[in-house]
Amino acid sequence: MQSVKNKTNRSPEASAFYTAGLILLGIVVVSFIVSLFWTPYEPDATNAASKLLAPCLEHPFGTDNLGRDVLSRVMSASKYTIFISAAGVAIALILGTVAGIPAGYFGGITDRGIMLLGNSIMCFPGILLALVAVAVFGPSVTNVIWALGLVFAPTFARVCRVGTMEIKELDYITHARVMGVKPVRIMTFHIFPNLVGQLLPATVIGLANMTLFESGMSYLGLGVQPPDASFGKMLSEAQAYVRVAPWLVIFPALMLIFYILGLYFISEGLRVNLSKGGK
Amino acid sequence: MPRHIHIVKVHHLTLSFPTRKDPNPKPILDDVDFGIRDGEILGLIGNSGCGKTMTSLAIAGLLPEAASITSGSIKFAGENLLEMKPKARRAMLGKDIGMIFQEPSTALDPLMTCGKQLEEVLTAHKDNQLTPEQRHKTITEMLETVGFTNAEEICGRYPHQLSGGQRQRVLIAGAALLKPRLLICDEPTSSLDTVTTVSILALLKDLCHKLHMTILFISHDLSAVRGFCDRVMVMKDGKIIDKDTASEILSHPKNTYTAELLTNARLDTRILGLEPANADYSKSPVLTAKDITAGYGRSLFERGSKKSGDNNILHDVSLEVFPNEILGLIGGSGSGKTTLIRSLLGLLPHSGTVNIKSTSVGAIFQDPVSCLNPAHTIRWHMEEALRASGKAKTINGTGSRSERKARTLARIIAVLEECGLGEKYLSRHPKELSGGQRQRVAIAMCLIQEPALIIADEPFSSLDASSSAELLKLMTDINRELGTAFLLITHNIHIVRQICPRVLVMDHGKICEEGITTEVLTAPKSECASALLEAERKIHGI
Amino acid sequence: MKSKTGYFIEKLIELILTLLVVSLLVFAAFSIIPGDAARVMLGPNASEAQVELLRAQLGLDKPLIVRYGSWLLGIITFNPGTSYAFNMSVAELIGQRLPVTVGMSVIAMLMVIIISYPLAVVSARKPGRLGDQICSVIGHVLFAIPPYAASLLLILLAGSLFSLVTVGNYVSPKDDFFGYVGCLLLPSFAIALPKIAMSFKFLRSSIIEQRASDYVRTSKSHGLSDLKILIRHVLPNSNVSSITIISIILSDILGGSLIVEQVFNLPGLGRLLLMAIERRDFPLLSGIVFYLAFITVILYFLSDIAASLADPRIRLK
Repeated sequence: MQSVKNKTNRSPEASAFYTAGLILLGIVVVSFIVSLFWTPYEPDATNAASKLLAPCLEHPFGTDNLGRDVLSRVMSASKYTIFISAAGVAIALILGTVAGIPAGYFGGITDRGIMLLGNSIMCFPGILLALVAVAVFGPSVTNVIWALGLVFAPTFARVCRVGTMEIKELDYITHARVMGVKPVRIMTFHIFPNLVGQLLPATVIGLANMTLFESGMSYLGLGVQPPDASFGKMLSEAQAYVRVAPWLVIFPALMLIFYILGLYFISEGLRVNLSKGGK
Repeated sequence: MPRHIHIVKVHHLTLSFPTRKDPNPKPILDDVDFGIRDGEILGLIGNSGCGKTMTSLAIAGLLPEAASITSGSIKFAGENLLEMKPKARRAMLGKDIGMIFQEPSTALDPLMTCGKQLEEVLTAHKDNQLTPEQRHKTITEMLETVGFTNAEEICGRYPHQLSGGQRQRVLIAGAALLKPRLLICDEPTSSLDTVTTVSILALLKDLCHKLHMTILFISHDLSAVRGFCDRVMVMKDGKIIDKDTASEILSHPKNTYTAELLTNARLDTRILGLEPANADYSKSPVLTAKDITAGYGRSLFERGSKKSGDNNILHDVSLEVFPNEILGLIGGSGSGKTTLIRSLLGLLPHSGTVNIKSTSVGAIFQDPVSCLNPAHTIRWHMEEALRASGKAKTINGTGSRSERKARTLARIIAVLEECGLGEKYLSRHPKELSGGQRQRVAIAMCLIQEPALIIADEPFSSLDASSSAELLKLMTDINRELGTAFLLITHNIHIVRQICPRVLVMDHGKICEEGITTEVLTAPKSECASALLEAERKIHGI
Repeated sequence: MKSKTGYFIEKLIELILTLLVVSLLVFAAFSIIPGDAARVMLGPNASEAQVELLRAQLGLDKPLIVRYGSWLLGIITFNPGTSYAFNMSVAELIGQRLPVTVGMSVIAMLMVIIISYPLAVVSARKPGRLGDQICSVIGHVLFAIPPYAASLLLILLAGSLFSLVTVGNYVSPKDDFFGYVGCLLLPSFAIALPKIAMSFKFLRSSIIEQRASDYVRTSKSHGLSDLKILIRHVLPNSNVSSITIISIILSDILGGSLIVEQVFNLPGLGRLLLMAIERRDFPLLSGIVFYLAFITVILYFLSDIAASLADPRIRLK
């Protein structure tokens, strides 16, 4: 009864966040899907005749110092952004859940051990740990995904741990224990389904944060490798021309911000709904 | 008729929460009209959401910003409050009008000592210039008045170092510090246990006489006004529907809604024809617990440094539950009832032995909201219970998969029907059920495991009277027909009297009295049992 | 019953354990390098004898546990060895670069507090009003801008609008302190921008939450003015809950500075880190990584202690 009521009375605040988020995210996702079949020019095709052209009819986003079409490159760059963030979050989510639920459920020494490892990983500021991993194993998309997955796992582990600690005190878990359900089964079938509501906003915000990290690594030249286009790489290449050709900075930066902001808005909408639903 | 001096006169007050979308919503207070006589204790009773808190906030001038008073007036000692400036109204708070609220655990700033918080009451009112020494003296005197013998010490304590009852006393001291003429008490006792409630009510009554205060006492529980209020008003949907002297309302309610509230407060009158089985004390007990000592976990670093025993909540508790018996367990909050059950169910590490003569033991808990997993259907719950009991095989027998499945389903439906729930509930989720229905599902989950004993921890405390009565009937039926023994933990002495042949009384982690129910209830031997019964008698009028 | 010193000791043990795990992680990362580290350093053309010699020099022929022990000993005595690439003490190299990174982080943190705190207090006074909503929307947008992208956009804006800020000329604090601060202002602002948004959002919701709490209602019923309630009750409580978030922001700022100094061409730890990665200079790399993590661990420890001092519920449990 109550949930039906909540759905129809979804708060206007949450709806506004969803709409804005989906529009911004839609721009990036649509350009990604289109880029799979068609881009105005070859993203890597250089053209000496049209270097550093300002946005015009032929090149709506202008061209770069090698005469490559910025619109085409932006479109194909969205591919890596979406792929890396999705794959990295999937790894982080799996690792975090597998570590976080037992930590919260068993508590004690298990909890201390797992959280010590998680906290230690979180003590490397920003992209440092991911940089080290890439430095050791060499820059490649796969390595970036694994490194970011590892760096983000403690965040999800925390969400799962706190959620589990709350849920395990509830009567239905006590009841399951009294009935003689085994701990592994309690964690997978009794606790996990109830964590989905909290994991969802964390996942969406994880996608956004991972994109921030990935683009930072690509900017430093330790993420996606040239000639493939990625937003971070495009921005670092554009740096030298920031005064002469600002469009080289503006369009990739805008697309990147749209993607991240879109995800933030959606997670905010989810969070608002969750807190309203809780009350 | 003699004319009474009204200290507060609420005159046709209407209040609503207009929004941009809905400028004329249904009023929260609808034409509320009453007076509070000088020196009286006036009770304002009603269920949650009926507008009783809004009424008190309107008098105090603490309404939420979104609220708007559309008509009417409030007069305090002749002055119209609604026409006063906000600053002047604020000056009245604490000085002329004091307030205390429901939840003492969060009503004090956790970062500030109690003494400092009380001092703020004095410094907030400029016309009350006192030296720090005078302020301190006023505070300690007031703390002594509200019953603290160690006032100096309390001043230096932080709120989390006090118990719920002590915090409520500090709050009362704060509200009464400047000796206001009106004290508004918004459910001041509903989160306290019975014994503390009685002492707080006695304190309020005492203050009322000593400081010549008038009290507006707000409660959802009609029985709580017994022996405390002079007059009672009953509120429903923003209207005052009944008004009378307290004794009249409690003995001869004229209004049907008032009568309904009164029956809700007194469960006993509704339940008839409960027939529990005759307990068989000659057989060996289904549950034997010996010398259970238990406490909550100490942190890793303290385990070695402190002597074990410091944190123990239970001390050498022994008990036996016999076949077919419904054993009652009563005790005040913090007496260790819940710790005992958790130890019996094997959820808490403890010393001592627990012997259960059965493969499984069932349990139902207090909170009907969290007793079922919100992510799954009722059918899943039942299947999970069957699976966990390890009895699935004996029910399934042999045969093809679909045959076994059909047999399992038939068994589940049979048990659900036994608990008064039909087949149609199978695919429902817990949120689609009422509290009483959820507790029935919890019982059905126990039954499908065929336990010899079900431990029920305050199963009625969150249910309304009719659901409680039905649940109680179900429990006695199960007890009679299936011979399942129950260990029933409750604070409701009426229920114990009706269905439990034997009762245990717990206090401070020990069983202080044990015996035949009628004997214990009429002539308690131990001090704690008589204190508990005395408190119950005062509030609920056994 | 937990005592004050008990809590302190518990946190201290946690600190030491965390540092131990951090050091293990760092050491493990550089010990499981695919292939032979000496071979990697010398390149494929080096002879077998050269590789052997280097292995012996680096102590790579010793067992893993001995190497970890000597590395840990070196790093905790602030003597983490010699850089291959620069042929200089790692400690000295890091010491040279530290003023840039630390200076930027401190300035950025100050900016975060100075800008977000008053905004949050004002915004939370009347939540839902136009000003509050504008602040919130701007906050979300700022939150989504990666610091290095913000740097580029700031260069674009500041360069074209004022042409005040000279980009890429680092001034040492020994030569000219104000020049040093001046050249760090714009990069610090770029790092601070998303964190201002983050801290604004957190503080605002924390203040709103505290304002709705029961003890505020009690204080109102005691006749206290709104301002007094804000200063004496609401802000202290929301400050306590902000201590953790501030330590997280500081650590983020430290991480962000590594990238942003690249945009502004500043000779900080980030640049050193990239050079170390490029030249596969593992002693230097492990030194930088460990000490940056070390700073963060200390920050978190201090924030725990600060929270316990501010909150009697932790202190006097």
